[in-house]
Amino acid sequence: MKILIVEDEPKTGDYLRQGLSEAGFVTDLVRDGVDGLHQALHESYDLIVLDVMLPSLDGWRVLQSIRGAGKEMPILFLTARDGVNDRVKGLESGADDYLVKPFAFSELLARVRTLLRRGARTHEPDTLRVADLEVDLRRRRVMRGGRRIDLTAKEFALLELLTRRRGEVLPRSLIASQVWDMNFDSDSNVVEVAIRRLRAKVDDDFEPRLIRTVRGMGYVLEAEDAPR
Amino acid sequence: MKRPSITLWLSLVFAVAAATVLLGVGHFLRQSVEDHFAHGDAEELSGKLELIRHLLVKVRSTAELDAVPQQLEDALVGHADLSVLLRDSRRRIWFAAGGADFPVALLQAAAAQPRAWQQGPRLFRGLAAAVPTGIAGEPPFTLAIALDTTYHGEFLDKFHDALWVALAVGALLMAVAGWGAAYRGLAPLRRMAVVARNVSANRLTDRLPLDRAPAELTELGAAFNDMLGRLEDSFRRLSDFSSDLAHELRTPISNLMTQTQVALSRTRSAEEYREVLYSNLEEYERLARMIADMLFLAQADHGLAVPHKEPVDLAAEVRQLIEFYEPLAEEGGVKLICLGGGVAPGDRIMIRRAIGNLLSNAIRFTPRGCAVSVTLEQGAEAVVTTVENPGPEIPPEHLPRIFDRFHRVDPSRHKSSDGAGLGLAITRSIIEAHGGVIQVSSGHGKTRFEFSLPRKTGGGGHDEAKGDGAASASRHRFLETG
Repeated sequence: MKILIVEDEPKTGDYLRQGLSEAGFVTDLVRDGVDGLHQALHESYDLIVLDVMLPSLDGWRVLQSIRGAGKEMPILFLTARDGVNDRVKGLESGADDYLVKPFAFSELLARVRTLLRRGARTHEPDTLRVADLEVDLRRRRVMRGGRRIDLTAKEFALLELLTRRRGEVLPRSLIASQVWDMNFDSDSNVVEVAIRRLRAKVDDDFEPRLIRTVRGMGYVLEAEDAPR
Repeated sequence: MKRPSITLWLSLVFAVAAATVLLGVGHFLRQSVEDHFAHGDAEELSGKLELIRHLLVKVRSTAELDAVPQQLEDALVGHADLSVLLRDSRRRIWFAAGGADFPVALLQAAAAQPRAWQQGPRLFRGLAAAVPTGIAGEPPFTLAIALDTTYHGEFLDKFHDALWVALAVGALLMAVAGWGAAYRGLAPLRRMAVVARNVSANRLTDRLPLDRAPAELTELGAAFNDMLGRLEDSFRRLSDFSSDLAHELRTPISNLMTQTQVALSRTRSAEEYREVLYSNLEEYERLARMIADMLFLAQADHGLAVPHKEPVDLAAEVRQLIEFYEPLAEEGGVKLICLGGGVAPGDRIMIRRAIGNLLSNAIRFTPRGCAVSVTLEQGAEAVVTTVENPGPEIPPEHLPRIFDRFHRVDPSRHKSSDGAGLGLAITRSIIEAHGGVIQVSSGHGKTRFEFSLPRKTGGGGHDEAKGDGAASASRHRFLETG
C-alpha cells in the first residue's frame, strides 16, 4: 500500500513518514502543494494525507485538481483549525476524512486503515477466529477454548470491532465512536472500564492474553505477544 | 458629518430667538409711534383746515377777501412749523406762509388725506382741500396746509439706532445666557466623560454618581453603569480564565520538562526511555484534549451557528448515554435511571455531549449503592431535563461559578483523571447555543442540574449561536464500521 504525504511542517512530515512506514506502508513525502499535485497525478497512490496549509498551492486547490483529474484515491486532510467551514469546504472539495491538529498518531493510523479498507471491502466470514477465540457474527456468539462466553450487546460489539481489526491499535475515541456512537472526546475512562470488563470475560481465564493495552495509544487484539 | 456642539447650538438659538423677538417688538413700537405721529399730524392739519375753511365761508364779498391774508397771519402766529398756501381757481395766491413747497399733485388732487414728502433735509406732511367762500359765483379756493415733521423723523431715526443697539446687546446677552445654560446643563455629561475616560481594563470599578444626575440623564447613566458592571464581570472572568489557563498549561508542561530532563541526565535502558515517552504521551494527551475543549468553547463564545438542527429524541439520547456509561457506573456501584421523554430541535451530537458531561459528572459524585436519575419533562414551550444525584453537596459559594471554565469545587482534585474542569462550561455553552437555560442547585444531600431546551426553533434568539460539536463529531461520523 502506497501513501503520499503532503505536509510542509518539517517535524510533522518526518514523523508521519516514519510512523506510516513502520506501520507497513510505502510512503512518499513532499513539502509543498505543487510537488504534491505533481506526485499525485503522475504516480499511483492508494491514499493521500494532505495538509491544508501549504506553501505555493494550498490543500484545497491540490484536492480539487486531483479530483478534477479523475483520480479517486481516498484523501485524508489535516487541518489546524477545527472550524465548521474548513470541514465543509474539505468534504465538498472531495476529501474523504479529516483530522484536526493536534491528533494522536494512532488515530491517524486507524483512519488511514479505515479509508483503505473502504475501497476493497472483502467478504468477511461469518466467524472470526483469533487463536482459540471464535466470534460468530451471524449468531452473535463467542467461544473461547471451546467454552461459551456470555457477553452483553455492547461487549459483543466491542469484541467484534477488536476482532475485525485485529492487529490494529484502536484509539479510545474510535472505539467510543464505533461501539457507542459517542462522537466526542468524553472525558471519562468509560472505554477503559469497558475493556477491562470485556477482558475479564474473554481473557482472564485463558492463555494467551489477546486484548492488550498499548499505553497512550489504545487497544489491540492479537494472538502473538510481540511487544511494540 | 459631525453635528455642531450643543452649547454652540443653544447659544445660537438663544441669540436668534432674542434678536427675532426684539426686532418684532421694535418694529411694532416703531409702527405705533409712526401711527401716533401721523394721527396727531392729521388731527392738527384737519383742525387748521377747518379753521381756515370757517374763516373763508364767512367771506361774503371780494373786499372781505382782501382782509383774509391778515386774518390768517394772525391765526398762524406761533405756528412756525406750519405752512399754508391759499389760492383761488385762477391760481392766484392769496396767502403763503412757512417753508413747504407743496407738490403739484397734492394741490391738484385736493386730497383730504395727509401726504408726506421730503424736501431737502426736511420732512413735511400736508393735505389740500377745495374750500368754498361765501361769495356767490366764486369757485372754491384751494387750500394746502403742511406740517414740518422733521423732528418726528429724527426721533424715529434715534429710535431705530437705539433699537439696533438693544437688539445686538440683547442677542449677545441671550447667547451668553444660552451658552451658560447649556454649559451648566451639560455638566453631568462632562462628569460622565471623566468617568468614562478613566475606565480601562484595570479600572472598571468607577460608577457615575446617579443621585446628582438630572432626570434626563438618569437613564443614560444607569445604562452606562450597567455596561460597566457587565464589562467588569467579563473582564474579571477573562482574566481569571487566562490565569487559570496558564496554570493548567504549566502543570503538564513542567511535568514534561522535568521528566525529560531527568531522563536525559544519564544513560538509561531502552525500557526506561520507553517509560518516559509513555508518560510524556499521557501529558500530551491531556494537553491536546484541553486545547480541543478550549477551541470548542472559543467557537461557542464567538457565536458560531448550531450547524444541524433536527428533532432530537432526548429519551433515546439519554438511553444511549446510559448504555455508554453503564460499565463505569456499575464499577462504582451506581444505578442510572431515565424517566419521561421529550423532543427538542437541536444538534444531536452536541446535545448528547452536554447531557453526557452532566451524567459523567453525576456518576463521579454518587456514593456506592445510590442512583443517578435523569428526568425529562416535555412542557408547552420547552423540554426540561433534570440530572439529579445524591452525594456531597456543592457549597453555595461555588454554585454561581460552577459553570465557569476550570472551576473546581475541590481544588485538591486537580490532578485527577476527570479532565480539565471544562465539562460543565462546555455543557452550558451547548445549552445556551440552543437557546436554553441551565441551572444548578444543591441541598438535602442531593445535587441537581436542570436545563431547558426550547421546543421551537429559533425561540431562544440564539439560533445564530455557537458550537462546533458537529465538527469534531462528524469527523468520526464518516468512519464506518469495518
